[in-house]
Amino acid sequence: MKTKILVANRGEIAIRIIRSIQELDYDAVALYETPDKDSRHIRIANEAIWIGDGPRSDYLNIDKVIDAAFKCGAVAIHPGYGFLAENADFARACEDAGIIFIGPSSDVVDKLGNKVMARKIMAEAGIPMVPGTQNLKQGDEGLNEAIEFGKTYGYPIMLKATSGGGGRGIRRIEQEEDLAEEYPIARSEALAAFNDDSVYLEKVVVRPKHVEVQIIADKNGRTVHLGTRDCSIQRRNQKLIEIAPASHLTPEQNDEICETAVRAAKASNYFNAGTVEFLLDSDGSYYFMEINTRLQVEHTVTEMISGIDIVRTQIKLAMGKELLFTQEDIQLRGHAIELRINAEDPKNNFMPEGGKTVTVYRSPGGYGVRLDGFCYQGFTIPQVYDSLLVKLTVFGWSWNETVDRLKRCLTNYVITGPKTTIPFYLNLLSDPDFQAGDFDTSFLETHEHLLDYEEDSSEVNKLARLIAEIHHKGENTYAA
Amino acid sequence: MTRITQDMDTATVLATLREADGYYITNTARDMSQSDYKNRILLHTDLLAAKAREAAGYFSLEITGGASVHVDILRKQVDPFLKLELLRQAMPDTMFQTLCRGVNLFGYRPYPQNVIRLTVREFAKYVDVWRTFDFMNYIPNMLAVFEEVAKAGKLNEPCICFSTGPEHTNDYYVGKVQEILDITGDDIILCIKNHGGLGTPRRIGELVDAVKQAYPEIIIHYHGHNTDGNDIGRIAEAVLNGAAIVDASDHAFTGFYGPPPILTVIQTLKDLGRTAVSIDEEAVIETSDVIRDQRPDYAQFESQIKGFQPTVQIHKLPGGAMGSSLEQASKGGFLDKMPDILHKELPEVQKDLGNYWSVTPGSQILWTTAVANVLDDDRYGNPSGDLKNLLLGKYGPFPFYKPADWIFEKVFGPDWKTIIEQEGGVEEIEDMDIEQERKTLAERLGGEPTEQQLVTFLQHPNDAVEFFKFEEKFGQSYVLPPSIFLRQGGFALGETLIFRDHLGKEHMLEIGPAQKTEEGETNVYLNVDHHQRVFVFAPEQVAGSQAAVTLSKEEIADLARAGDIRAPFAGNVSAINVKVGQEVAEGDQVVVLEAMKMQTPVACEVAGTVSAIAAKVGQSLQPGDKILKIDTGEE
Repeated sequence: MKTKILVANRGEIAIRIIRSIQELDYDAVALYETPDKDSRHIRIANEAIWIGDGPRSDYLNIDKVIDAAFKCGAVAIHPGYGFLAENADFARACEDAGIIFIGPSSDVVDKLGNKVMARKIMAEAGIPMVPGTQNLKQGDEGLNEAIEFGKTYGYPIMLKATSGGGGRGIRRIEQEEDLAEEYPIARSEALAAFNDDSVYLEKVVVRPKHVEVQIIADKNGRTVHLGTRDCSIQRRNQKLIEIAPASHLTPEQNDEICETAVRAAKASNYFNAGTVEFLLDSDGSYYFMEINTRLQVEHTVTEMISGIDIVRTQIKLAMGKELLFTQEDIQLRGHAIELRINAEDPKNNFMPEGGKTVTVYRSPGGYGVRLDGFCYQGFTIPQVYDSLLVKLTVFGWSWNETVDRLKRCLTNYVITGPKTTIPFYLNLLSDPDFQAGDFDTSFLETHEHLLDYEEDSSEVNKLARLIAEIHHKGENTYAA
Repeated sequence: MTRITQDMDTATVLATLREADGYYITNTARDMSQSDYKNRILLHTDLLAAKAREAAGYFSLEITGGASVHVDILRKQVDPFLKLELLRQAMPDTMFQTLCRGVNLFGYRPYPQNVIRLTVREFAKYVDVWRTFDFMNYIPNMLAVFEEVAKAGKLNEPCICFSTGPEHTNDYYVGKVQEILDITGDDIILCIKNHGGLGTPRRIGELVDAVKQAYPEIIIHYHGHNTDGNDIGRIAEAVLNGAAIVDASDHAFTGFYGPPPILTVIQTLKDLGRTAVSIDEEAVIETSDVIRDQRPDYAQFESQIKGFQPTVQIHKLPGGAMGSSLEQASKGGFLDKMPDILHKELPEVQKDLGNYWSVTPGSQILWTTAVANVLDDDRYGNPSGDLKNLLLGKYGPFPFYKPADWIFEKVFGPDWKTIIEQEGGVEEIEDMDIEQERKTLAERLGGEPTEQQLVTFLQHPNDAVEFFKFEEKFGQSYVLPPSIFLRQGGFALGETLIFRDHLGKEHMLEIGPAQKTEEGETNVYLNVDHHQRVFVFAPEQVAGSQAAVTLSKEEIADLARAGDIRAPFAGNVSAINVKVGQEVAEGDQVVVLEAMKMQTPVACEVAGTVSAIAAKVGQSLQPGDKILKIDTGEE
């Protein structure tokens, strides 16, 4: 019997992982909740285990997933992204159960998942951080600290509640004059909201680029990077487009960020694949944000420019192999862009189109085109999960070639049933700023006109609809 | 010689016509389309012809009016105002002419005065010459149109409708001309409207001469049809006797029931020493060369029966109704009865009903009555609502004599005298609450309508809304040539269609495969400007699946007596006069059906309460389809 690896995930990423497992001549075991019963990840796995009606709760249920691994006799679990992927308890449960967790150790997941802890480790390793303070002192003393901080680093700055999180308890200060007024309010708000009035300061990086570095480390601590990615184009912190390598970086900057990422990984005794995220300021300075201790959605762009199968590497490392390549062996070339084609209506606030059936599905192909999806003709999109249908990743030797290819692929796509983000992307790809590589995290806010695209309502499509009807009915019933 | 152009004021136009040494020509493209192509000649073809027609130097181009306004929205899916706007852009000099049915405007029934006036005002923005008629030659029916046309500074062209028979004397017609002039004054063009192409050339010559003798200054426009193949002769005689303008159209499209070819008119009259003023013969020829290759695409709308119909002198059907009558006979499966209908019953009905003029809507009444008389084998036993209205005098007084009493008795029953006394007389139609109609339309459109949309809506409310929906869904489809818009049997796989949209942008469509899904849906693939698109069509409803059982006439009548009212014949529901829960008495008109442009009320056979309504206004019904149910309280 072949060695089995359990994939504790669903959708496109489950399929992505299953492919590498099968290429390594292992058997892939899929999990599914009831709403996913028609999902393709079940069909292509060697074995599938139903773990409950969910939705989501069973994919998140550590006991059920470990049970499933026992039931099928899997020696390892790949958590994918989302769900249990960055859950230290899950990693620990695997370790306790004697199952290989394909990812870093539970300790690493734990400490890098804790923002304060992670900052501390990185600060000690000399990794550049967004300038900030410890908790400010009470009263005027604290206010003076804040004024000093503003003088040193410039405005805007942020007053953050120490116990806050998820975007809550933050006040943005534009100028020194506002501090005296805002500072006590921030404290009293923090007290009211979190029962803790401690606040600290952080510099605001205005319109940063989101740049991240893919790193891989083996158990011996040999750590390499696979270059940068730019994930600046986001909507409400949800990445839409990912690009490798990050544009507008000098080779020196690029090398420096990548080497910093490797240092950050080493500082945390990192093992397996991970991503070090930075904010890149317009002046070229960059600051550590966090380390994602998992496979990223956008790993495909890195695979395209590096030629390295990250998931295959992850599995091999987890199964005890060493890295067979050094930093010098890695040659990054060309450009890759990945788009998340979601079943969403961008014009309607990106409202998910779950529950709709894909009546026609035709995908593009050809040189430099990669698809990671799980959609098929006749598939009804479950309403209870995310709306990602397929990731379209293209490779090209130059930036322009890559953009051209991406456009071509999008125009070749035929998806009917749900609305998708395709027409929005087509509009976006034609934007001069995008084509010039000139974008940061504010791109969508500053380019709202990109939502003004013709869906199927352009004049020619209206006429085409009439012609299709004349063709279908064998006569023009509106002229009969 | 002076060309008449659109920028001239009416006085200049009339003076030019009076001083002309020769005659002018109106290109009656609209009447050709209506008579020989069931009104389907598309704006696309008219736009193709526009440049050469503009260069040809006509007095006018008749391009709107008659049934065309309705067909524009119903079957050609083009806005009748946009059509005029685009043609005006393409033809800045040529005057546009319309044919207006007086109080019936471009429809089949009288409209309220305020609707007439609003409609004329809107159309007069584009239409320079207003040919107006009334099928009873009842002049008061044209008054409102005359007034609005004059107010708009456009030319009035009142008609005397022409027919033949002992009553149709020169004296009678000269008297009618006087009636018109008394109202309009002298600044008009008088049209002799020979919609059937009746009479011999000599008869027309005599009539023109008689009118000219009586009113030497009058400008006569002769309008005829070539149904018997002899309109050139009538035109020639009309011109020789003093007609100033005649009607004809482009030879590449001339058929059997519409106008004769322009070029033949010119050649014939040249030989008789008469010149076509300001006409560029090269441009006339070029027009036909430009549009000739479009004609096969309209073949499906040409008459089923080929050849001239000299028997028109017997049945007198107007050219504009020939094609549609034959089509009805063909669809209704009574083509074999046509000789009886056309040559025996129709002339008889005409005599019965007062020998008035067989033109819309009077021609439809004659035709429908003759068809019913023959098919039911019961003369006047199944009268249409419009026949009743005619007999009641709603359209105007009978011009020569009233039908015989037995016909009134057959139609209205033994109490017919009382009915005529109480309900008879010219219909007084109350003004419509136009602002209320505007609100109704706004609700149905989901937005404020334009003035033109409102006018279109007031003409044909349901069809207008359907058309506005079509426009929204399918865009400006007038850009499609007939080879696409009127294609029969679908396109060939891989066929490439190239056209420009209304903004001038060129597009290329390639026909891809069509594929049926398991659910019965059809996916039609098209490459639209190189982008693949798929259009999904729901499974076809099996026709008549709900009324799979065909009911006989007797069964329908039996059901009606039991309170289950079914459609007695095929037609569209034009009104439902009752609501669920409403009490009805025996004989109440609960529903009005429309077939062959005629409205026929359906009365209930029993008293009771309306318990269910299955039909909807605008719905097309087959005989036996459910309309509504009446609970009689008996079980």
